[in-house]
Amino acid sequence: MNAMNREFERKKDLLWLLTKKEITLKYKRTVLGIFWSLLNPILLALVLFIAFKIFMRIPMENYTFFLLSALFPWNWFSASVTISAGALIGNVNLIKRVHFPRYFLVIATILAQLVNLIFTLPIIAGISCFYGVGPGVSWLLIIPILIIIQFTVTTGICLAISMINAYFRDMEYIIGIIINMLFWMTPIVYPLNIVPEAYKTYLVLNPLTYLITAWRDLFMSNLIDWKNIGISFVSSLVFFLMGIAIFQKLGKRLDEVI
Amino acid sequence: MSYIVEVRDVWKKFPFKRERPGFKEFIVNLPKFVKRNQNSHFWALKEINFNVKQGECLGVIGKNGGGKSTLLSLILGTIYPTKGDIRVSQKMTPLLELGAGFHPDLTGRENALINGVLLGLTREEVAERLQAIEAFAEIGEFMDMPIRTYSTGMYLRIAFSIAIHTDPKLLLIDEILSVGDEGFQKKSREALIRLIKGGVTTLLVSHNLSVIKEICNRVIWLDEGEIKAEGESSKVVEEYLKHSL
Repeated sequence: MNAMNREFERKKDLLWLLTKKEITLKYKRTVLGIFWSLLNPILLALVLFIAFKIFMRIPMENYTFFLLSALFPWNWFSASVTISAGALIGNVNLIKRVHFPRYFLVIATILAQLVNLIFTLPIIAGISCFYGVGPGVSWLLIIPILIIIQFTVTTGICLAISMINAYFRDMEYIIGIIINMLFWMTPIVYPLNIVPEAYKTYLVLNPLTYLITAWRDLFMSNLIDWKNIGISFVSSLVFFLMGIAIFQKLGKRLDEVI
Repeated sequence: MSYIVEVRDVWKKFPFKRERPGFKEFIVNLPKFVKRNQNSHFWALKEINFNVKQGECLGVIGKNGGGKSTLLSLILGTIYPTKGDIRVSQKMTPLLELGAGFHPDLTGRENALINGVLLGLTREEVAERLQAIEAFAEIGEFMDMPIRTYSTGMYLRIAFSIAIHTDPKLLLIDEILSVGDEGFQKKSREALIRLIKGGVTTLLVSHNLSVIKEICNRVIWLDEGEIKAEGESSKVVEEYLKHSL
């Protein structure tokens, strides 16, 4: 029992150190360091604010807020997917020479990107106050739930992509297109209800549709739609399990291809 | 008597064509690939059977390409056998390629922490040993500088120092290492031999037959993926020498 506890402790340490390494390395040679994680989204918010307030006036109330409430969670997803494509092939030395759970490399990437999302939360809260809505107590409960759901679906997809990329480096190029396609197929720049009825049934295939909508409902109007959250959860589990299956199946022959 | 390492009828196959096809080629030529993959491969290891007991030092000798390193990787678990079963009931410390996973932008200390945990310690345990690691490596204030500023010798010193401070229970060694300058070479070799003679179970791959004869209790001779001989060190080494001449 003691040995099992110790091994669990060690695995926890390993995951933590790998995550910390990702975060440290990202800002290692910068002057502002992790402060960029806060500065970046603030600058993004400013740019969008100027763009949609002055140049491209979308006839919708608080469009910048509308956009950011979906864009920040989306960025966690897209950055994770893009970076995790190299999680395995970028650590060949480690994979070939040390025995440890390889999926840690993927999870560490996703967790390191989560830091960015967390830094955007105070910004979103600030904007929410600015528009006179203000963050509700429900945020404390729902944000962790949505993070877990998004983590689950992202992990599934990233596991699959990192492994497939080891076999076909072409994946790295395909990912750019897929991310782009997903971006426009997910209600980020437009609301869910403008999608034509006929296509709505297909939206469920996109695991992000209802998740992003749930984030937006929460951030913009403190709304909790358990149906959206439920659908997101189920579809995240499906992607999670598919990802694990692919990762394990292809992982058996990983040593022969990297 | 329970064994630390049990290798049961292990076979390992590698595809011959290491150059992987791109996605398009793969789709276009799918039938061809399926067919070819069945034919063009070679067996790096064939029908390997052996055990290692607690405290034993097992030497592995043989020509280049005989499957020695593949065997170590299989035991380490970084590659899987095509057929057969490998059981290891101890924490392994590989001394195959030092400093695996070191990141050039992190300091010696930061890398030591990650490497130590990768090699089987908890974060707390590495922290306790950091001083000993630092003292053994003798790299002075470089400990807190990014690894990219290290000389090759310093890199190997810190890497070796971490590896032997992780309480090895089962050492996997590919060649007794010649690490750093004259002085450190002697020090590192002595440290290793002390560990091995002190009863740490060891698998040692080496071309240095006199070292093998000196410290191994038993030797396996691998030739083209098969065990050609197994037994008492001096006898197997002699047989191998006779065959090679």
